[in-house]
Amino acid sequence: MKHFAKSIAIFVLAIASSSAFAATWTGADDLPAQPLSCDATPAPAVARPYDGGAPVNAPSRKGKKLNVVDVPKLIGIGYFNATTKGIAAAAKELGTVKVRTDGPTRANIDEQITFIDNYITSGVDGILFAANDPVAIAPVLKRALSKGINVVGYDADAAPRARQWFVNQAQFNSMAKVLIDTLARETGGRGNFAIVTSTFTTPNQARWIAEMAAYQARCHPQMRWLETVEAQEDNMLSFTQTSTLINKYGDKLSGVMGMTTVATPAAAEAITQAKRCGKVAIVGMATPNAVKPYLNKGCMKSAVLWNPVDLGYAAMYALRAAADGTLRPGSTSLKAGRLGELKVVNGSEILLGAPYVFTKSNVNGFDF
Amino acid sequence: MSTLSIDPRRLLRHETVLVFLLAIALLVLSVQSEHFFTADNLLNQGRLMTEVSLIALAMTFVILTGGIDLSVGSIFGLVAISLGVLWQSLGLPLPMAMIVAVMIGGAAGLLNGLIITRFGVPPLITTLATLMLYRGLAEGISQGRSVRGYPDWFLQLAQGELLHVPNQFWLLCICAVAAAVILGCTAFGRAIYATGANKTAAWFSGIDIRRTQLWIYIASGLLTAMAAIIFVSRVSTTRSDMGTGMELEAITAVVLGGASIFGGHGTVIGTVLGLALMQALKNGLALAGVRGDGTIIVIGLVLIATSLISNSFNRGKS
Repeated sequence: MKHFAKSIAIFVLAIASSSAFAATWTGADDLPAQPLSCDATPAPAVARPYDGGAPVNAPSRKGKKLNVVDVPKLIGIGYFNATTKGIAAAAKELGTVKVRTDGPTRANIDEQITFIDNYITSGVDGILFAANDPVAIAPVLKRALSKGINVVGYDADAAPRARQWFVNQAQFNSMAKVLIDTLARETGGRGNFAIVTSTFTTPNQARWIAEMAAYQARCHPQMRWLETVEAQEDNMLSFTQTSTLINKYGDKLSGVMGMTTVATPAAAEAITQAKRCGKVAIVGMATPNAVKPYLNKGCMKSAVLWNPVDLGYAAMYALRAAADGTLRPGSTSLKAGRLGELKVVNGSEILLGAPYVFTKSNVNGFDF
Repeated sequence: MSTLSIDPRRLLRHETVLVFLLAIALLVLSVQSEHFFTADNLLNQGRLMTEVSLIALAMTFVILTGGIDLSVGSIFGLVAISLGVLWQSLGLPLPMAMIVAVMIGGAAGLLNGLIITRFGVPPLITTLATLMLYRGLAEGISQGRSVRGYPDWFLQLAQGELLHVPNQFWLLCICAVAAAVILGCTAFGRAIYATGANKTAAWFSGIDIRRTQLWIYIASGLLTAMAAIIFVSRVSTTRSDMGTGMELEAITAVVLGGASIFGGHGTVIGTVLGLALMQALKNGLALAGVRGDGTIIVIGLVLIATSLISNSFNRGKS
């Protein structure tokens, strides 16, 4: 009897807590969105003054050997393996940089801070990072700057004052435009779609979702956004969540959007196994190797991403240039080896380029 | 009461092993990296280890009674989010929000304690359930948004220093001494050991085991809440996923410190040594150039090694 009472109590609590949060909110953040225009008109370029930070009393490092550490969000996943590869390639090309990649095995803000803290103490010359949280990482990066260390971010930014430069893989609004336009094309511009994301708190994903919502409302008003589900960056969970969406919405579901490189291939697999290929479109961010089979079989038509190898490569070049003093406040471009000249945007960001769409016809030329 | 008191030699053994291991670790690590054994670095480690340490102190009490509290990581997240939401969305003055947030932590611990003592549900199951419950509440309340923009005085709490020592490290020292005194020198402390050693015997000795357990889980919630506020101040933001996995770090430190997972033996000094050893390894190995994955392997091996050494000392006696 006592056990029964207890289980009822827990059950009631569980129901009460979950039903309180149902409703309309679906995973975007609450920062203002800046949707691009529906046609291909580029956004007006606004020149902004440099808003990054500066290392305090940094020694002259021009042309000198640099000891650099790269601390991504987490290590051991394909995406950051690819950025690591790019960083190492650039370091080899430059010939004057010793770089190592180290970081937490799960995307955890506290662990990442501790890693950076330890490397500051061990006396590195430069830090490359991809932030798990833009604000939480700021104090430790500011500490790095205060010790004269050069700090450059890539993939996920910190508060601008806490680093010198950030290599932006693709602006949020242009990524959102490409994703929504692609999905619209594949669902006839009037389908119901659902989003599989990592967690509602992951800043990049939340930002993309906010931009996608704004762009879709403006340019594809007939599409309907059913809901967003969380799947960490977990393969099995992404598969399960997509299967649940298929079962829950049945024929009403005409598209699934994967917001992480883990979710997209897992969603494609779920749709394949449910035999809904061709009925449910799958679009999302993915590394080419992971989605090759689905693109080649035709269950999936397009995946969107930038090249993470190029991203790491550009970040390494930016750090070298910042240490040399050739990339400094007021610079308008960065010479990044084989990538050529990259543009400086938003004050202290370096833009990698436009998002890249992988399709059956081009995916086999990539290997990462 | 003499039958209930613990054999001091037995505990001494484990703690001696730890002191010895810690000394070796400090020596080896300072040889490996010149940056390790500096006042600057060690004080900074004091700052980084405070949150887990506060939780581990409370966890020592919980484990001594033969219980476990898996929900601390989630209480940590819930308190962090409550602090942010109370202050930013509900407009409470920040000091008031801090007090209310700590009380929410206490209430979360109270609920654990009530389910365990009134309904007789094993602590493992209860706190596993509330681990999910509190994390879910934290995520629901936060709606995935983080709270930022705390005033400077609040950030100084855990980013500032008093007499060159990080503020929170003072607090940790006070809490550790208080915990050691409560456990070693008070009737309540003896009641905890008695409850963990043999609940039935303790009950027949006139100890209110329910009340003892209830207070322990409340204390666990309160200390976790304090840790959460320190953490928010240190990282200057609030997110609902804060504290994920923290319960395991705290439990690791406690068992490394020699507490029996079945209750009845263990000391605060053991836990403090366990914490110091873990932090020294994490920091020292990183400075010595060992990658993150290597560090956790070493911590796992050290945990196994200390248990084996300590067991081989004790085998003769039992």
